[in-house]
Amino acid sequence: MAISTVDIAAAARRPSLRTRIGELLDREEWLGPIFVSPALILLLLLVAYPFCMALYFSVSNAFIGRPSHFIGLRNFINLWQSDAFRQTFQNAFVFCGAAVGAKLVMGISLALLLNQQLWFKRLIRGAVLLPWVIPTALSTLGWWWMFNSLYSVVNWTGLALGIMDPPGPNWLGQKYYAMAAVIIVNIWRGLPFFAITILAGLVAIPKELYEAAEADGAGPIARFWYVTLPLLKGVLAIVVLFSTIFTFSEFNIVFVLTHGGPINSTHLFATLARQVGLETGRIGEGAAISLYLFPVLMLVVWAQLRFVRKQAY
Amino acid sequence: MASITRRRFLTTTTGTGLAGIFAAGIPPARGQQREISYLCWNNFAPLMDKKLDEIALRFTKDTGIKIKIDHIAAPQQAAKYASEVQSQSGHDLVEMRMHFPWLYEGQLVDLSDIVGELEKKYGKVLSSAAETAQVRGVWRAVPQYHGMFVATYREDLFKKAGLKIPDTWEDLYTVGKELKKMGHPVGIPISQNYDTISTGGPVLWSFGGLEVDKDGKTVKINSPQTAEMIEWYRKMFRDCMEPEVLSWDDASNNQSIQQGKAGWIHNPVSAYIVAKTMKLPTADTINHHKTPGGPKGRHETDVPRHIGIWRFSKHIAPAKEFIRYLLGTRERYDEYIMSADAFNLPVYENLQNHPVLKTDPKYAALLDTKGVQYHCYGWPAPPSDKVQLITNSFIMPNMIAKAVTGTSTKDALAWAENEMKKVMAG
Repeated sequence: MAISTVDIAAAARRPSLRTRIGELLDREEWLGPIFVSPALILLLLLVAYPFCMALYFSVSNAFIGRPSHFIGLRNFINLWQSDAFRQTFQNAFVFCGAAVGAKLVMGISLALLLNQQLWFKRLIRGAVLLPWVIPTALSTLGWWWMFNSLYSVVNWTGLALGIMDPPGPNWLGQKYYAMAAVIIVNIWRGLPFFAITILAGLVAIPKELYEAAEADGAGPIARFWYVTLPLLKGVLAIVVLFSTIFTFSEFNIVFVLTHGGPINSTHLFATLARQVGLETGRIGEGAAISLYLFPVLMLVVWAQLRFVRKQAY
Repeated sequence: MASITRRRFLTTTTGTGLAGIFAAGIPPARGQQREISYLCWNNFAPLMDKKLDEIALRFTKDTGIKIKIDHIAAPQQAAKYASEVQSQSGHDLVEMRMHFPWLYEGQLVDLSDIVGELEKKYGKVLSSAAETAQVRGVWRAVPQYHGMFVATYREDLFKKAGLKIPDTWEDLYTVGKELKKMGHPVGIPISQNYDTISTGGPVLWSFGGLEVDKDGKTVKINSPQTAEMIEWYRKMFRDCMEPEVLSWDDASNNQSIQQGKAGWIHNPVSAYIVAKTMKLPTADTINHHKTPGGPKGRHETDVPRHIGIWRFSKHIAPAKEFIRYLLGTRERYDEYIMSADAFNLPVYENLQNHPVLKTDPKYAALLDTKGVQYHCYGWPAPPSDKVQLITNSFIMPNMIAKAVTGTSTKDALAWAENEMKKVMAG
């Protein structure tokens, strides 16, 4: 068999596999997606897949370990007939509104305080972060002990100081006190996130603006109202956005402190979804509970991100 | 003979090996090892967990099968089991409380052969354990032991005030008023926990009430008998207890009597065992008596616990071997039961007069079972997943809690009936 000289020359010119891969990686349209793909795969596996499964479960009659069928929006409609769900719906808004509102006001105050020239500034800033750093389940167990009817250190202190009548409030057994207790712990836990993020925003405000305002005769309140607050709007919007989502989906605090009781008065979507979906096996209904507010939260996210973009440009 | 190049040899052997592994579906290292895992609850009698670990070590030594035992707190069991079933992966053996075998019927291996062997040795399985582990004629789990509820009281306070041991729930009201005056209230939880159901059930049954009828379908909670039970709870809450019971978890009543506050609680003997183990001053003052009765008899909650094997397990044979090892030899079963100090008792008829009950005179009440009817949650409805759903949704505890905090009896009953009907219809 004869081999033509043209074929030999062409084979000799063909670059090696390594060279070809190298050339491919030099091209931006290949290199970019390659770098992004690990994160994308992780997102698909850990976020998109569970989310799609939850979406499917919510429109099915899925029961643990049994075949399921598509039932449309029946789970979402039936939930309204449940007294426990209607109570949970109300609880979620009371809990989120009170906790996020308090965290916002207290977060700004704490950030302004931390922005002052204090002794042991770094130590104090580090200490403020502690509630955020400690695992929630662990710190909530501490709070549970403080609110416990038998050992309550809160009541013991209140009684010792004479500001409470014996036996003191039934923190976890009376519905308003129980709601107050879970809100207090959520504020304690979430305050550092607000304070430190707002502090970062405060530090970024140029000093010249305050000097100019002071030269124009502006007092501390006017400086806060006309300089600090407008320049913090973007940071505040992001912090409130994240906190709203986290607070609506709170689980640990309620689960450890009250298990949703008394009489479902502290159940939130996540805790009720667990009770219905996992403890009683109705994962279809459980998924519907956890996704009930998804459209509303999406709208909130869209509106707030739009607001942040407007602030930025 | 044609020579084989190194490359060709490696390609052929690797290809054949991989094909074998894919065909078998088991990695070679796993295929060789014999290792099983057991997901067990955190026993309220911690020494029984220690004994289980000890027996597991001996099992490995005697059979060559490794066993890994993981413990989980009781409130987390349902969620963990659900995730294992959904993902079809996890442990081989699982501890199952009460009706769990009904909830996971299709996911559990048929263990009728092992139960048959045990019944030949120890006699019939007790009715409460049989009703919950045998699903539609098939043993989906092997009954291990059970814990009975009983009345636990402060003997010293009763003697000091000259109080009579209550024979009925009405007697308890009379005694409870005195105890509260002495600063030692009755401690019956009324909250979203299982102890509330464990007491609420016997009180309801003693007044002649029930949640769901024998047919397992008809909701019967809204009845004059349940109204009587609610009225009893209402006056108990007002005159004999403190509002703290609305926030209690399963351990709170134990802690209350151990710490010297409660004068009477309804619980298995664990409160006394822990007080004794921890050498608390109250240990000497706590004693037990037969559960109170009512117009329709004396009823008590029984909590049987079983051991099952997931159907997705790849090690069913060694898992069965472990169950036989743990429960199949009288000496070892006795050793296991003795470690719980009368908190967990044998579930087989011939072992009822067990030596563990004679280790302490304060366990006499557990032997005094004449006239007491023992049931699981939901009785007299046959166990089913829906009865389990009614239990796990805490409908009865919330009905009582609503009534004692101001809702009228009529409204509380109507609410509970509506919630239960929704579960039955679902």
